[in-house]
Amino acid sequence: MDWKPDWGLRGRMVLTMFLLFALYLVFVGALIQTDSFFFLPLMGLFVLAQFFFSDRLALYSMGAKKVSEEEYPELHAMVSRLSQQADLPKPTVAVADSRVPNAFAAGRSQKKSTVCVTTELLRTLDRDELEGVIAHELAHVKNRDVMVMTIASFLSTIAFMIVRMGFWFGGGRNRQGGGGFLVAIVASLVVWIISFFLIRALSRYREFAADRGGALITGRPSALASARMDNVPKDDLREQSEMNAFFIVPLKSDVIGRLFSTHPATEKRVDRLRDLEREMESV
Amino acid sequence: MGLFDTIRTVLGTNAEADATRDADPEDLFGMSTAYVTMEADLGFRSVDAAALCFSGVDSTDFSEVVGDVEAILRAGEEETGTAFELREDSHGWEWVILRDDDPEDLVTSVHFAADEFIERGYGSRLLAALFGFERGGDGGSDGGSDDRSNDDRSNGEPDRAYWIYSFRRGAYYPFAPKRDKERNQRLEFKLESVLDGELGLEGDESYWYPMWPDRDGGHPWE
Repeated sequence: MDWKPDWGLRGRMVLTMFLLFALYLVFVGALIQTDSFFFLPLMGLFVLAQFFFSDRLALYSMGAKKVSEEEYPELHAMVSRLSQQADLPKPTVAVADSRVPNAFAAGRSQKKSTVCVTTELLRTLDRDELEGVIAHELAHVKNRDVMVMTIASFLSTIAFMIVRMGFWFGGGRNRQGGGGFLVAIVASLVVWIISFFLIRALSRYREFAADRGGALITGRPSALASARMDNVPKDDLREQSEMNAFFIVPLKSDVIGRLFSTHPATEKRVDRLRDLEREMESV
Repeated sequence: MGLFDTIRTVLGTNAEADATRDADPEDLFGMSTAYVTMEADLGFRSVDAAALCFSGVDSTDFSEVVGDVEAILRAGEEETGTAFELREDSHGWEWVILRDDDPEDLVTSVHFAADEFIERGYGSRLLAALFGFERGGDGGSDGGSDDRSNDDRSNGEPDRAYWIYSFRRGAYYPFAPKRDKERNQRLEFKLESVLDGELGLEGDESYWYPMWPDRDGGHPWE
């Protein structure tokens, strides 16, 4: 099968990760300078726990249930064969009763992954489109996106916690070495704001990568493209809800909104999938 | 996680890389002798059919390759009498179904068809080769009845078992479907232990994907 690697996408991904890494170095430096380093291990534990329970949390918040082969034979057969193509152990299959067409992949590792679709998605998509969506989710699992995004946002989450703590306790309390603590809070705020946009950018690049992976799994880029155009299922729950809550800016699709979004614009994704289809056709 | 795997994870290209990785047909031929062991040691006879499962690609070039595979099999049909059929199943996956009462010819034909896909650059689209076996049923009690326990036996129906060769992983694994989407795990493990060493087996059971037939008692390719 003929296809070209997307070096532009890879380059942007590496650049984003590099910037995040540099930012985090500065952040850790600032914490050490202000004697606030003790926050790290404490909050690290919390983030780690979140990582380990992320799949259950995601399934629970969607009201999703694991389903057996008896209940959904078609869906199971589809997931099974697509994972075969992707060379992935068959993930757990879950269905959420919802009127929004949606799908996501959860789980911290490839062996413990779950793919979940909503009842509305099953109802509205035809077989090829559903295949496209599930292959996209399997590509997320294959690319270890839950782990990558957790690592990428690890210190950002901690910066956010410090900022929030600053709001709670910081205000009037300036007795012992309060200056240092204040610096730590301001540094955290800056780190958090910058990393927020970097993480969103990274998330969008990972979506493109999963689109490519999914299209190569099914061999039909058009399947995912048409599913996207029909009803644009929003994928995965790797967004951090507390971040969303913090911003009151309406997250619409203008330029600013795009910076805030975890997923690329639909037209862009469809365009890329078309490119891929052209590549596969022109040998 | 090795170095390359880590790099691919960072770049987000694991899915691309593995979905397009070429097939590994090396160990396919182990099946020729396994047919003998299956009958002699376990009383499982060939169902005189085998199948190759692949997933299509949306391109003209791929359709041409499928046409050429057909031509090769037609030539084979004249030579060895191996009947063949191309079919898309209800899930949208495609099958080459081969029928012959000589297991050797089945293995060879599967190999020829698979080879053509690989040569033409579509090895990554090959999913699996299936070889069907059964024992008992129709009141037939020839061999193997001694190690079959009562609860495995479902009112006169034959025990079905398949050896599935995964071209993605280059290894065989057993699949023994029962009614109602249940697997006869005891039988699968028995097959695994008896054929271990003779066939290149998939050690990680999480890769023993089921390939259910559409109806009870049918073959996965039907």
